[in-house]
Amino acid sequence: MGNIKDRYAIVGVGESERSKNSGTTPLHLALDAARAALNDAGLTAKDIDGVMNYSENDSCTSHQLATYLGVRPKYVKDILGGGSSTEMLIADAIGLIETGQLNTVLIYRSMNGRSGVRMGGGNWDMNMLQNVIEGGSYIIPYGAGAPSQWFGLFASRHMYETGLTKEHLGHVCVSFYEHAQRNPKAFFYGKPLTMEEYLQTPELTSPFNKHDCCLESDEANAIIVTSAERAKDCKSKPVYIMGISARQCISHAHYWSNLSEVASDYVAKDIYQKAGVSPADIQVASIYDCFSWVVLRQLEAYGLAPRGEVGDFVATGNLKMGGRLPTNTAGGMLSEGYTHGMNNVLEIVRQIRHEYGDTDRQVKNCEIGICTGWAGPDIAGAMILRN
Amino acid sequence: MNFAKPIPVKNQDNHPYWDAADRHELVVQKCQSCGEYAHPPGPSCAKCGSSELSWENFGNDINGTVYSFIVSYRAFLPGFQDDLPLIIAIVELEDAPQVKIIGNILDCSPKCVEIGMKVKMTWKQLSDDRAIPQWIQV
Ligand SMILES: [Zn+2]
Repeated sequence: MGNIKDRYAIVGVGESERSKNSGTTPLHLALDAARAALNDAGLTAKDIDGVMNYSENDSCTSHQLATYLGVRPKYVKDILGGGSSTEMLIADAIGLIETGQLNTVLIYRSMNGRSGVRMGGGNWDMNMLQNVIEGGSYIIPYGAGAPSQWFGLFASRHMYETGLTKEHLGHVCVSFYEHAQRNPKAFFYGKPLTMEEYLQTPELTSPFNKHDCCLESDEANAIIVTSAERAKDCKSKPVYIMGISARQCISHAHYWSNLSEVASDYVAKDIYQKAGVSPADIQVASIYDCFSWVVLRQLEAYGLAPRGEVGDFVATGNLKMGGRLPTNTAGGMLSEGYTHGMNNVLEIVRQIRHEYGDTDRQVKNCEIGICTGWAGPDIAGAMILRN
Repeated sequence: MNFAKPIPVKNQDNHPYWDAADRHELVVQKCQSCGEYAHPPGPSCAKCGSSELSWENFGNDINGTVYSFIVSYRAFLPGFQDDLPLIIAIVELEDAPQVKIIGNILDCSPKCVEIGMKVKMTWKQLSDDRAIPQWIQV
């Protein structure tokens, strides 16, 4: 495959209702999101010849979704995956279109993440859990079974090495909650967060309190990817992919042995080279935010703020509207909703299209944005987009 | 309700480690090809892919340094509700700093624990024949 810069575009985005108890199945939610994305693009289901999704065994299949959209696509693909899978599937879709196998691909993530299978879990069989988690017998018997604990171990070490403080974590939360106050569809719309409140909230697992952890929601999101030529026939304003790097792994399976290495460090080099831009050109961001701290570590990895200065960068309001890099402008997974990263993709597409017009939700004159995925320190994906 | 704590599940790749723990000894997998330690152990070396693996016995006098830690105020797994706040730490071995082992620091106030703190390995019986390595402040 040659250089794909600006030759592929996201032409449709859509979502289902968002709730804590959908009262319906992931298939229903996925159908709502898919129809919304088709409507956004001005396409019909017959225009889609590939359907892909990722899940943690908590969704419907691509075949089911296509069936109930009333179409028989050439290609369906279901993968197991979490954060960064959106970028991987977009990269796969581009590869399939580039080789002439497909024309237009719909990618979705659907989950009853609160009322159904919860990532934060509980009620797992302890022996099963040890077998499914890599190196599980070395953490489960020590009470380390929750992502907030694992990410806390990374955060504590990184904060120790770089001088990041609890208050710096708070600036990420406060900034994103502020965005959610302009987004009536956000979970925490109407629930602003002050730094005082943040600092007074008791910790669940140091250094995190509940505000540092992503919420859990029932929802589906969908996006449609096609070639730049076909994008011209769509109703929507296309958002072009300048560069994408999917799932660059770090060098070892047991990532907790080296907390200073994250896959984002490698992805960053790759996407800037492919996109032909530098961090200074980025005007809006969607940074994967399963926990507040991972935003700080990724700002460092993607060169958006130098190591050692990330804390000052967020403390001076740079993640907010009017700041240097408005980030997760719908509220992110900390305060809008949680679909393993895809809701952040929807938002950056809307920002780069200037869909919010003259409202206070629109990042003024943003032309180029970055969107990152993160599946723990070991796997990452990211893309740079432009209008 | 009082739930029992989970006991390490032995499998094809990790059983020498847990068999040694039951004897109150620490063994760590080592690659004969590239010379790196591998922890947690695996079916082959995660650094170079070689299958030539052996086990190095460090005995039962093990010292280390806290590399990172968290304090958990909620029990996310059964069996830990009486241990809160629970300190979970990554400890770097003094004799092999590449090797980092996750464990609890016992009998220590959350206020006392810090990165760089010296700790010593101790073994806790989970049953008559099963034990796990844990850490105490030196
Ligand atoms: Zn090796």
